[in-house]
Amino acid sequence: MTNHRGGWALIQATWLSWMQYRSFFFLLAFSWMIGPLIYLLVWSTAAGGGTVGGFSRGEFVAYYLILILVNQLTISQTTWTMGELIHNGQLNRLLLYPMSPVYNTLASEFAGKAVYMLFVVPVSGGLALLLRPELHLTLANGLAFLPALALAWALSFTWGYWISLLAFWTTRADALLTVEYSLLFLLAGQVAPVALLPDALQVMAKLLPYRYMISFPVEVITGQLDGAGLLTGFALQIGWLVVALAIYRFLWRRGVRRYTAIGG
Amino acid sequence: MSHPQIVVSNLSKTYRVPQRPPGFWAAVRSMARRVTQDVPAVCDVSFTIEAGEMVGFLGPNGAGKTTALKMLAGLLHPTSGTATVDGFVPWEREAAYLKRISMVLGNKSQLMWDISPLDTFRVLAEIYRVPPAEFRTTVDELAALLDMGELLTKPTRNLSLGERMKCELVAALLHRPAVMFLDEPTLGLDVSMQRRLRAFIAEYNRRTGATVILTSHYMADVAELCPRVLLIHHGQLLYDGALRGLGERLAPFKLIRLTLDAGNGRSPEPDALLPPGAEIVARENGGLTLRVPRAGTPDLTARLLSALPVIDLSVEDPPIDAVIDQIYQEGAV
Amino acid sequence: MLRPLKLTALFIGASAQHELAYRANFWVSLLNSALNFGTGLLGVIVLFEQVESVRGWEFAQTLAVLGVYMTVSALRGLFISPSLDSLAGMDGEIWRGEFDFTLLRPVDTQFVASVRHWRLFSLVDLLLGFVVLGVAVTQLALPMTLAHVIGFVLTLLISGMLLYAILLAFASLTFWSPGFLFGWVFDGLFQMARYPVGLYPGVLRLVLTWIVPVGVITTVPARALSGDLPPALLAGSFALSAAAVLGASVLFRTGLRRYASASS
Repeated sequence: MTNHRGGWALIQATWLSWMQYRSFFFLLAFSWMIGPLIYLLVWSTAAGGGTVGGFSRGEFVAYYLILILVNQLTISQTTWTMGELIHNGQLNRLLLYPMSPVYNTLASEFAGKAVYMLFVVPVSGGLALLLRPELHLTLANGLAFLPALALAWALSFTWGYWISLLAFWTTRADALLTVEYSLLFLLAGQVAPVALLPDALQVMAKLLPYRYMISFPVEVITGQLDGAGLLTGFALQIGWLVVALAIYRFLWRRGVRRYTAIGG
Repeated sequence: MSHPQIVVSNLSKTYRVPQRPPGFWAAVRSMARRVTQDVPAVCDVSFTIEAGEMVGFLGPNGAGKTTALKMLAGLLHPTSGTATVDGFVPWEREAAYLKRISMVLGNKSQLMWDISPLDTFRVLAEIYRVPPAEFRTTVDELAALLDMGELLTKPTRNLSLGERMKCELVAALLHRPAVMFLDEPTLGLDVSMQRRLRAFIAEYNRRTGATVILTSHYMADVAELCPRVLLIHHGQLLYDGALRGLGERLAPFKLIRLTLDAGNGRSPEPDALLPPGAEIVARENGGLTLRVPRAGTPDLTARLLSALPVIDLSVEDPPIDAVIDQIYQEGAV
Repeated sequence: MLRPLKLTALFIGASAQHELAYRANFWVSLLNSALNFGTGLLGVIVLFEQVESVRGWEFAQTLAVLGVYMTVSALRGLFISPSLDSLAGMDGEIWRGEFDFTLLRPVDTQFVASVRHWRLFSLVDLLLGFVVLGVAVTQLALPMTLAHVIGFVLTLLISGMLLYAILLAFASLTFWSPGFLFGWVFDGLFQMARYPVGLYPGVLRLVLTWIVPVGVITTVPARALSGDLPPALLAGSFALSAAAVLGASVLFRTGLRRYASASS
């Protein structure tokens, strides 16, 4: 059920609501920043005056600062903004509206990310002044960055969304989530830029969806990829997005049928 | 030939519930095996409702009232049976259907907590595509009816429960639904607020002809609002008709309350006066309550007045609660 | 005298029952622990695939710090975090306004708040921490005498005390500012202790050593492991920890008085 007017109104109202708890959300954003920040410090110290794996100290700083921003924009919240609603019966309220429940989750998504960025952007800016990043930006890379970022967001959202729909069948999707977090940590450019991963992990990173949710756009804008790398990267990113959408639709239809059979 | 708005046939709903036994060793054992149990919630219920009627679903907690209501709202689909509302099958959840109904849940809110009710109303107006002019008139009308004044612009979290309930009702009526489902709407409210809300609902039904289906375990809600009740117990429809009829059919008794003048010397035991089937149900300082078969009431009243030092006497119907209670315990009408 | 012990035993028993009541939890926890173990280890491995040493810290020494971090975290997860979080954490008693029930009990509030909930599964994490330490020790190829081991265990206990003190202090701050999750600020800083504090740049190193002494918590036992534990250091850290526990307790009680008089 499309309902764009309803969706837009909901985004504005949600943002208003969440801004009242901005200290909580800023704290959350702070927590999410810590991981990449630690690796920023470790790798940039390792590089010292020279380079490690082809990255200089400043390049590590640039990579990780941009990673922090991209991570914040793409991080998945749907466990709370959809999974929880299924568990505590609030989905019933959304099912009564002539509006697909996705709009509600999207409203939380856009409103939430807007609040988080209010914290992350200035802090990253401050860190940039302190740590002196080194970024060799070309027009091509800059232009390619935007679609890569948009697709990364779409993939991360849709992937997280279908996983949150597992709540229709089980109160315990946490095992899967734990595995997801680990894979994101290892293969999405956080523990190290993908190029520095040992071969076996690097291959996995390039095939699985996780890299395309976070580090791919960062690699694009920091110029780590050549033409071929860009093309295969985009191909895989779009491919995984299609897969995620298919899984979502499959699970949603069955899930709602089951929810209305069981009664939330 | 009338076309009822709501037609329900043989509607049934059975839940499958997992069991989790208490205790340490039972907990360890349950790690290996899962046990479930089938719980029937609604059993073969049939009825019809005309547009504009006000109907109450009455029954103890867990009787199946809320389950029945949720099926009509499209939130649940039945194990068997059919239902149509305005020609729609509720659990198909078509947008056109959802715009014609509305639900108020007593213990769950649809107001956004941190912004004002008016802000939430604006969002709902967009969701239901209510034109701005109509939105303004509806809000003004309802706010006047409910005497809401300044409430609308305060953040929801600063409102009292009663004030929030008023806002919930307005939120539910912004899109002028044809059918309203009210699930325990007066839960937790004080008596005067309950009265105010009931008056509002009755007035709204009178003005707009919206059908109202109400569940409540507060007798007063049902007694004041619903000329017709459906009594549901253990998922079964035990009675469908006027509330008054329920009392008369089940409890063909009257209660006679007497206040006696203790100072006066003569005070023969009333027991001797009582016809068969009558009994004393309560004795307090200077007073008695007798339960008497309906038919014998005028006669007995006269005799009591002449034989006893009566200061005050009243003849009442037994409280509906007690009647219903009896039904719950006996499980049948 | 015995009462605190009896009470603690009761708390442990109740927690154990609770843990066992949810059968899926066990497997999820196992998965979680295994993944934490794996990703932590991989983090260090990936780094040292690329470099030999970072500011003088080599693979085995860094692994030792990680091992200590994991061990101390396990101690924290055994009862300190579960108990203090149930008071001052998200959805804790102060957050939900239910602290009055605890205040009414005829037992010392600090004791109850510190020891009330146990997560026995953390013993698995403790074991995994020891595994990492074992690997580090063999890599370091150091002679492990009894004195070594005793010294190490002592420093671990001291670290545990210091950790408790810091967490108690952060939890106490909640009395002054009930909506803010101070524990999360600490979590972020504590994450940094995965790596030797010497790896971090100047200001941060100072903060992590003197202001919120997480560095001390992991560094001192790591030094003890490689035999570098002068008695002065041992005595000094004990004194620091004892003072910290005392200070945090005073802070807690002060906060408690404030809460009790302000509560509506």
